[in-house]
Amino acid sequence: MRPSPRTQIPLFLALCAFTAVTLTPVVWAIMTSFKRPVDAFAVPPTIIFTPTFEFHYQVWVEKAFWRFLINSAVVSICTVLISVSIGTMAAYGLARLRSTASRGVLFAILSMRMFPHILLAIPFFVLAKWLGLINTYPALILALIAINQPFTIWLMRSFFLDVPGELYEAAEIDGCGAWQVFARIGLPVVRPGLWVTALFSLLLAYNEFLLSLVLTGPDTKTLPVALAEYGAEDINYWTLSAAAAVGIMLPIVAFMMLMQRHLARGLAFGAVKG
Amino acid sequence: MFLIPSATVLGAVLIFPLGYAVYLSLFNYDLGAGIYQFIGLDNYAALLGESRFWGSLQRTVMIVVSAVTLEFTLGLLVAYGLYRLTFGVRTLNLLMFMPNVITPVVAALFLRWIFIGRWGLLSGILIGLGIFPPDFLGEPSWARFTVILADAWQFTPFMILVLYAGLNTVDQSQIEAAHVDGAGPWTLLFRIMIPGIRPLILFVLAIRIMDSFRFFDQIYVLTAGGPGSATETITMYTYALAFRLLQIGKASALGVMTLLLVAGAITGVIATLYRRERGAF
Repeated sequence: MRPSPRTQIPLFLALCAFTAVTLTPVVWAIMTSFKRPVDAFAVPPTIIFTPTFEFHYQVWVEKAFWRFLINSAVVSICTVLISVSIGTMAAYGLARLRSTASRGVLFAILSMRMFPHILLAIPFFVLAKWLGLINTYPALILALIAINQPFTIWLMRSFFLDVPGELYEAAEIDGCGAWQVFARIGLPVVRPGLWVTALFSLLLAYNEFLLSLVLTGPDTKTLPVALAEYGAEDINYWTLSAAAAVGIMLPIVAFMMLMQRHLARGLAFGAVKG
Repeated sequence: MFLIPSATVLGAVLIFPLGYAVYLSLFNYDLGAGIYQFIGLDNYAALLGESRFWGSLQRTVMIVVSAVTLEFTLGLLVAYGLYRLTFGVRTLNLLMFMPNVITPVVAALFLRWIFIGRWGLLSGILIGLGIFPPDFLGEPSWARFTVILADAWQFTPFMILVLYAGLNTVDQSQIEAAHVDGAGPWTLLFRIMIPGIRPLILFVLAIRIMDSFRFFDQIYVLTAGGPGSATETITMYTYALAFRLLQIGKASALGVMTLLLVAGAITGVIATLYRRERGAF
């Protein structure tokens, strides 16, 4: 079919309109974060105003949001390190095991993904309270690993499946042990996939809210928890919480730029080959 | 052998807590009052006889069905639009994808600032047009509508992305054959494209249903279940039971029931779609 400009241009405009509507809340929030309250609360809404960085500075420095950033970073990075290293091994094992047994295990892992996080939050809360682990990093990290692990295994497995089996078999014939085949052949080949998986599980941990809300305290609050507390309080903090929200979003935008090619695969659990 | 570390960890942080939750659901465990006694299945019985439970279930199903239908319809249309577009696809795709990766709490706040009464952008625009805006977050039926829109805002991009990736895998020779037979864009979509990516459709629908069932972050920030109980879903109700009223036992029972419901819903969806498929081919 020859694409004719008669159909292409309206189609393009329609999709642009859709994108514009979709992005309005983001643009509006970014604008709000640079406004003084006078401009932010103007009715009808103002589009032209003198921007100020004052509120970005206030919220991150004076209101010490940087501490929550550190909490978020510690928790997410620990989660990813543990989850991805053990998940990669499991994924390799499952990918090499192309039998009915592995299908059973895979199905079990997928069904773990479906269960409600709130059902995990309750026992974790009770146990952590009992062990005195509320408001510490380990409790939250363990909980995040629990929800991260099924995802990591599925995604890594899809990368291992892309590797032709002959590669491993050749190494085995040459006398490599199972562990050597994994470390010398499997890992190097999937290295790009490993990065993709690590970044996606980082995103998952960074964005998580429910478990963080339940398991953290004043010292370990992550960014989403701090922001939810702050932003829901009073509309008077509007410009401040907008500045915080925009700041929290920045690393994610960077992530998206970096991961462009892998988005479909990463988010669809490796079900779509990107 | 490679599975052992992962299996151990999953057992410790996932299976064990899950079992513990089932165990807790058999107790009258009130963290506030310090009560802890075995009551068998009484928590389940109490929930089943309670209108707050049925109300929250009804609202959850309503929100899940509306949101997922909206996301799928819109997602498929936009994905197909992108598929037919010959220029600028990458940029558009990336831009419209943004809401999906934003932290849900941040996303909810962004939307709150659009919908909030008086100062919200939407109210502002409506006032500018001389229309008196409804209270999008404060009026029960509007609040439900807003919550559905919020889910759709964040997850339609996911549908678009996955369906678009799927459409590109449809066999080119089939498409050309359809063209030779004189099929228009709509015939092509319904006769060739949709059947061609049916397994993928099944997959995204299942994923979205599971996820929107436990949809929590945005409701928590947007309406906190209110006004009254207008947007109190099962997850919100469980949260309130466990962490506001500290009735751990009853909340666990509700959590277990949610798990069974989601499992049932997914099996149902997959079974129906498969059955239809068998008839069609």
